[in-house]
Amino acid sequence: MDNIAGKKSGLSWAVNISVALLVMLWLFPTAGLFVSSFRTADQISSNGWWQSLFVSEQNVVLRTTDPDDDGAQVLEDGRYTVSGNLYGEAGKATIDVWGTSSRAIDSYVAGETADLGDGETITVQANGDYVWTGSTEMTGRGQRVFATAQTPPEFTLDNYHTMLFDPDNIEGMAKAFFNTLTVTIPATIIPIVIAAFAAYALAWMDFPGRAILVAVVVGLLVVPLQLALIPLLRLHLGIGIGKGYLGVWLAHTGFGLPLAIYLLRNYMVGLPRDIIENAKVDGATDFQIFTKIILPLSFPALASFAIFQFLWTWNDLLVAKVFLIDSTGQTTVMTNQIVELLGTKGGNWEILATAAFVSIAVPLAVFFMMQKYLVRGLLAGSVK
Amino acid sequence: MKKSLYLSVAAIALGTGAFAEGHLAGQKITVAGPWLSPEAETINEIFDIFEAQTGADVSYVGSDSFEQQIVIDAEAGSAPNLAVFPQPGLASDMAKRGFLTPLSDGTADWVRDNYAAGQSWVDLGTFKDETGAENLYGMFFRVDLKSLVWFSPENFEDAGYEVPTTMEALKTLTDQIVADGGTPWCIGLGSGGATGWPATDWVEDMMLRTQAPDVYDRWVSNELPFNAPEVVAAMEEFGAFARNDAYVAGGAGAVATTDFRDSPKGMFASPPQCYMHRQASFIPAFFPEGTVVGEDADFFYFPAYEGKDLGSPVLGAGTLFAITNPSDGAQALVEFLRSPEAHEAWMAKGGFLTPHKGVDTSKFVDDTSRNMNDILLNATTFRFDGSDLMPGGVGAGSFWTGMVDYAGGKDAQEVADGIQASWDALK
Repeated sequence: MDNIAGKKSGLSWAVNISVALLVMLWLFPTAGLFVSSFRTADQISSNGWWQSLFVSEQNVVLRTTDPDDDGAQVLEDGRYTVSGNLYGEAGKATIDVWGTSSRAIDSYVAGETADLGDGETITVQANGDYVWTGSTEMTGRGQRVFATAQTPPEFTLDNYHTMLFDPDNIEGMAKAFFNTLTVTIPATIIPIVIAAFAAYALAWMDFPGRAILVAVVVGLLVVPLQLALIPLLRLHLGIGIGKGYLGVWLAHTGFGLPLAIYLLRNYMVGLPRDIIENAKVDGATDFQIFTKIILPLSFPALASFAIFQFLWTWNDLLVAKVFLIDSTGQTTVMTNQIVELLGTKGGNWEILATAAFVSIAVPLAVFFMMQKYLVRGLLAGSVK
Repeated sequence: MKKSLYLSVAAIALGTGAFAEGHLAGQKITVAGPWLSPEAETINEIFDIFEAQTGADVSYVGSDSFEQQIVIDAEAGSAPNLAVFPQPGLASDMAKRGFLTPLSDGTADWVRDNYAAGQSWVDLGTFKDETGAENLYGMFFRVDLKSLVWFSPENFEDAGYEVPTTMEALKTLTDQIVADGGTPWCIGLGSGGATGWPATDWVEDMMLRTQAPDVYDRWVSNELPFNAPEVVAAMEEFGAFARNDAYVAGGAGAVATTDFRDSPKGMFASPPQCYMHRQASFIPAFFPEGTVVGEDADFFYFPAYEGKDLGSPVLGAGTLFAITNPSDGAQALVEFLRSPEAHEAWMAKGGFLTPHKGVDTSKFVDDTSRNMNDILLNATTFRFDGSDLMPGGVGAGSFWTGMVDYAGGKDAQEVADGIQASWDALK
């Protein structure tokens, strides 16, 4: 009686470790993206997000106040003096070594005084305080200081502020949000309705060639949608649909149907034959059986496919670009809007990271609301 | 700011009477182009001026996949009124398929008279239509200057380097920096799907510095095959910089993998990873935040060989406006782009050069832009970015990938043979 259910296998620790590893593997890039969304563009390009979580040693170029600024230069003990803090305020970083030339960035340790020639000297403290003095009035730009400093982590909410509250951006984003809903909701409902009818017919109605039809549907699962993009677009242009919502709904419906029919048919086949035969004996028509018995019983499978289809269409860029988005700018979707936030030369990574997190808010909400159906639906047809 | 623009525009409109106030009231004009942030905001401000003058309603939509989008839209019959083409090659293709409408009569004469090197701008905007007849379809607005080397004046000062004025001096300086223990160049070819394009600019610049302009023209039109010795020599001139481990930050192996947007940042690192970066006039947008062009960073003209009597050639590129869906408003908007105000409005924003001779150069946002524009206006030879003029499969295909292979160590002749073969395949 050792091996019956309830007794833990000796290898469960291995299972646990591999599950933990897999979870980490999945979460690692997402975590990186999340951290990056709180960093500035310069921080992202200068070091990795994993370094930003800890105090790190960074080489930075800092500059003193411009001596030509009003009141920056004062005469103390016969010497012209400019003083202040290189970081603007004390305590932002701790300087270990520093230099005044790009050729020698570690000539002095914090607290030492450097001779700049022409009677000028500069002293830099570990907290960034500096005193720059000269025997004659100093002109030109502020003195450059090359510091090697222990810099604590620094994060900013600016990216989220730009994404969510910048008036230049918010108008386009709001339009894209509603356009995306206009695409996703019909593109989720239409295939489910069609697939439910088809699945019932393929599961419970007897007609010649049924098995072959099922095989064809399964075969269609293998066809990659990229293959059909251009011919389908030409068809749309040819029959006058053009680019627009109708076209993108039809495309999403077509690309979603094979999986929807397959999933629902397998689930419906597993429903108890007795119930359906009883209903038939009682004189119910196929349509009544479908609406009164099959649909309510298939709810988990319907819901799970709805989640899939919603997530796909929400995240879709390719199909929208081909069948929907044109140069009028009236039909942009969220994913496209996010891509375009990258800027003309595609360098605004910080905005992209932030946009990714803003845009997954809706799919996450949908997922958590309906996730109890997801697992049940995923098993649809696999267990009798 | 916007208000003062409107006011000054209103004053100009009243003064010149060129545009009857509100004669396009309510007309909708759609414009599509490759500009996204930050250029999109600027072009919208320029269109605001036009709206105030005419009462038309202009909507500009930028797309990162403009080149594909515009072709599909034209085929679908839903093209915008105007399109802003980043390359004449694409506009030429569309003209040949009958998707473009010629600009109004007189535009060609106007460009010839009012743009520096006017005839060349007319030629670049003139394409064949379906029947083979040539018309002016494109009007250039906003030009990029490519023959520039960026550097940090303070780093040069620290090391005691002087700005070189000849190619010989530039090569001496490069060796000097290596001898002093530094790395002279930052070169990055990475650009997502367009990886390799920065190298095509290098080769084109080298072509103009080693060969006469007519050789360049024959190369671009493939009368001179891509694998001719002249072209291979120009590639090797680029290789002399990019394939020398000591010359490039990160070593020659890093050239193809470094993103072009990240590579200039090395100049401002502590300690500097490199001293010079050859890139077009738009690159300050990718300098670290707070970098002041003219103080923290400056540029010099990518010099010509003193020993070769080729003058001071300049490589550039530009965007052209063309009409994809004709309407009165579309023609009026192109006409508006002739006015100095349209150019000056962007000059004041920076990142904009123009061959327009009638603009008030004091409107440039800084001396740097003014100096760049002077290079443009004083060039003895101006040539358009060759890869933009070659067929798409070469200029935006095998030339890019070939240069990545070359930077990675492949033989120049072999790469050139491959590019020529791909060109032959397109004929």
